[in-house]
Amino acid sequence: MKQKLERIMSCLKDSSGNVKLSLVIMGGGQFRYGAKGKGILFFLLQLSIIFYFITRGFRDIEGFFTLGTKKGDVWLGVAGDNSVIMLLMGIFAWVVLAAYLYFYVMNISDVYRMQKRLEQGRRNPTFKEEVKQLWDKKFYVTVLALPVAGVFVFNVLPIIFMILIAFTNYGGTVVPPELVDWVGFYNFKRLLSLSQFAPTFVKILTWNLLWAVTSTALNYIAGLFLALLFERDCVKGKAFWRTFPVLAYATPAFITLLAFKFMFSYGGPINQLILSGGGTAIGFLDLDAKWTARLIGLLVNCWISTPSIMLLATGILSNRDSSLYEAAKIDGAGKWKQLLKITMPFVLFSTLPVLIVQFVGNFNNFGVFYFLRGGLYLDGYFLASDTDLLINWLYNLSINNNYYCLGAAISLIIFIIISIISLAVYIKSPSYREEDTFR
Amino acid sequence: MKKKRIILLSLTLTAVLGILSGCGDGAATEDVGTEVDGRTEGAAGNIQGSSVFTGELEHNVTIRVLENDTAISKGYAKELLDAFNQEYAEYGIKAVDANMDQYLDLANDGPYGYGPDVLYQANDVIMQYTEGKHIYPIPVQEMECYDQIPEIAWNAYETEVGGNTYCCGVPVNVQAPMLYYRKDMLPENWETEWDKDGNGVCDIVENWNAMYAFSVLRHEENPLNYGYMKALYDVYFSGGFLFSYGGYLFGENNTNPEDIGFSAGEAEKGAWVLSQLAGAMNEECIDNTINTTVYGKIADGTYFATLSTPDVYSTFVGELAKAYEGEGMSDKEANELATENLMMASVPKLPESGDLSEENPSLLDPKSMGGINGYAVSSYTKAPNACLAFVEFATSFEMMKLRNEMLGVAPAREDVAEAVGGVSRQLYENLEKGNIILMPSIREVSQIWTPGETFFIDIAKDAFRNAEEKKYKELPDLKKGLEQVDSQIHDAIFTLK
Repeated sequence: MKQKLERIMSCLKDSSGNVKLSLVIMGGGQFRYGAKGKGILFFLLQLSIIFYFITRGFRDIEGFFTLGTKKGDVWLGVAGDNSVIMLLMGIFAWVVLAAYLYFYVMNISDVYRMQKRLEQGRRNPTFKEEVKQLWDKKFYVTVLALPVAGVFVFNVLPIIFMILIAFTNYGGTVVPPELVDWVGFYNFKRLLSLSQFAPTFVKILTWNLLWAVTSTALNYIAGLFLALLFERDCVKGKAFWRTFPVLAYATPAFITLLAFKFMFSYGGPINQLILSGGGTAIGFLDLDAKWTARLIGLLVNCWISTPSIMLLATGILSNRDSSLYEAAKIDGAGKWKQLLKITMPFVLFSTLPVLIVQFVGNFNNFGVFYFLRGGLYLDGYFLASDTDLLINWLYNLSINNNYYCLGAAISLIIFIIISIISLAVYIKSPSYREEDTFR
Repeated sequence: MKKKRIILLSLTLTAVLGILSGCGDGAATEDVGTEVDGRTEGAAGNIQGSSVFTGELEHNVTIRVLENDTAISKGYAKELLDAFNQEYAEYGIKAVDANMDQYLDLANDGPYGYGPDVLYQANDVIMQYTEGKHIYPIPVQEMECYDQIPEIAWNAYETEVGGNTYCCGVPVNVQAPMLYYRKDMLPENWETEWDKDGNGVCDIVENWNAMYAFSVLRHEENPLNYGYMKALYDVYFSGGFLFSYGGYLFGENNTNPEDIGFSAGEAEKGAWVLSQLAGAMNEECIDNTINTTVYGKIADGTYFATLSTPDVYSTFVGELAKAYEGEGMSDKEANELATENLMMASVPKLPESGDLSEENPSLLDPKSMGGINGYAVSSYTKAPNACLAFVEFATSFEMMKLRNEMLGVAPAREDVAEAVGGVSRQLYENLEKGNIILMPSIREVSQIWTPGETFFIDIAKDAFRNAEEKKYKELPDLKKGLEQVDSQIHDAIFTLK
């Protein structure tokens, strides 16, 4: 850091008048060095950003801190401040400010580079040449500019928004036109200090971890099994058979879940069969069915998720080195040994990052138990049931009550738990430690 | 600088004159800054409306109307919109279907211009919008329908802000559970065996004790058939059994969320009634699959009776007619016979003791949970007067009667209820008598469903548990269960508040 600062200071001392001009007026130095097009572009950029900040940017940044001072009242015709919009626009203003700083630094380093080139007696590229570079050497910049901007607007901005919501009192009765306020770590303090939470949190977290590990493993094994099965020469009409898992994959998950809920209900076909066979109806998913419901959840999730693993594994298996199998066969290794020693390490190596994504997805699998067995608060659980995952509990506690700030705080906690687990697994994995093994 | 001072002085003078003129008479009050006025002041009840309703219709405007899905699918919404558009064509006012989800959230969508101008929803939903003033207070006392609608229905739409009473919706129809049953499946000898009070109405549909006895008998005669069948988890239908014995949702007329009363009074007797009824049903009463199969099973005679709301009458009749058509009847014959055999009646009376096996019980009037669906005007509309004109039109005698004819819903207007008679009249009377407990109009009501449903599922399930596994063996067990429901609702509302 210190070295960086020293470098900047020495560059500043070393800079020409044109560079200093660019420090004040973006593009000024470039313009005087003859790169008029680029200079004008930089200048227009600075002008438009200054215009934005004068017309609303500064107000948005102020609004980011105050989150509004005037409460609206539609009945009285008072147009008040909308805290949520102010927060959003405030974040946007910060992003614009960051972008301005980025372009400002780019402008300085560009003009400094121009100065150095001229001092070395080299010619500076013309505007046309620089634009041409964007289609050639720097094509990646051209291609990535739009997606990066898109990611910022549609991904980063909402994530920052959600994180910041955790530090406000937004939700419950505090929704526009009421004014939202910053409350610091109050929401986190409240979550940690509530005595009712701890026992339920421990129970749900334990089940959540068990669920995430079991369902990920089950889906993975089932997907791999199907892929290996359809790879075998003895299977006729492979494309035909592969269609069925793909169909299950193509059906929207919530429709599949509702269909399974109906199948396992008291009036559903499974119980009808049991009754017609002279048996008594079974409450597969009712409030006494803790482990049955959990098992059904695992199997239904397997039904939904296996096809994606199967497709992934099918692609990876097609790249297998058949000579390895031939060599193993000569060495006397049976099919099981070949699976354990060649196929599994090969597939695992390639799919571990995907497996982590699957784990995260399953850890946060809201739909399975919401659709299969939602709407129950059971004994021994605080506003939750014995099949609820943390994400379902979060929904009961916060979103169901419109406590967006607490929802955001719990989401952050879940995010931290998942990040730690995922990173620990990934860093320990061969995919990370032995990157070149299968290259 | 001088010019500026002159302008400032003129503006100040104008403002002072404006305020002074406001002190003069009532008419001038509307011209000053205050937007909510007391134009209806002096009338009984003194309900205030917004001053945006000036009575001057906006010309050449389109208003988006959110009707419920049934009204759209059965064609009533189209009839209403067409009739209104014809009536107001000279002003260039056009009402169109808002084409939005009937369960939209005006509080989140309205401020950004996505909501409808006029919305038709249940009172508990509409009144949640008053917190953020997302709907306008309507000058209801100036409306033609005001005197025709009972006070209890208007109360469901009233709110107090700053010591003033505002009414934010216009009641259209009453929703409350009704008993649907097959008249042709009543025992042939009911006049001699099942009419103890000799009033010419079969006891089976008059009191739950007879219904229970008949259900047990019917199932004994043919194990595939049942008498009364209903998914018990539904708080909307099962809650009434608790309220009939002293239970309630929230204290102070459903306005105080601190006071939760599922276990109040002798509510456990209501839970016991449900538990006994579950014993005469099959396991389908535990979950919700019955909700979709009930129409067909009433039609094919598997079930004799169920509880539902009046707006699904046409679906029951349709299914029964289809069953008759399947037996070879013509379309007309099938419809006529279905209309004759499918009966809708008030909820049967309950035994004071809560014991359904009691031979000669003292009976009490049942209470049931209900709602008032009505119209409201969004605060984000650009044409409030045109919207009010629409509400006025849609709540007229003719349109409410048409709504009843096409949808079977019970009107909130007394003159319409009188004109159509039958069940609508009964529902209107029940509402007036206070036997329909209206859904609370406070946002905390959203927290009653899951704890309530869990409890009702549990007592339904209990009927099918082995004797040693049963959780609710005595009335105190049921009381304890209900107290837990109260505590869960309280936790859900207040833990994170």
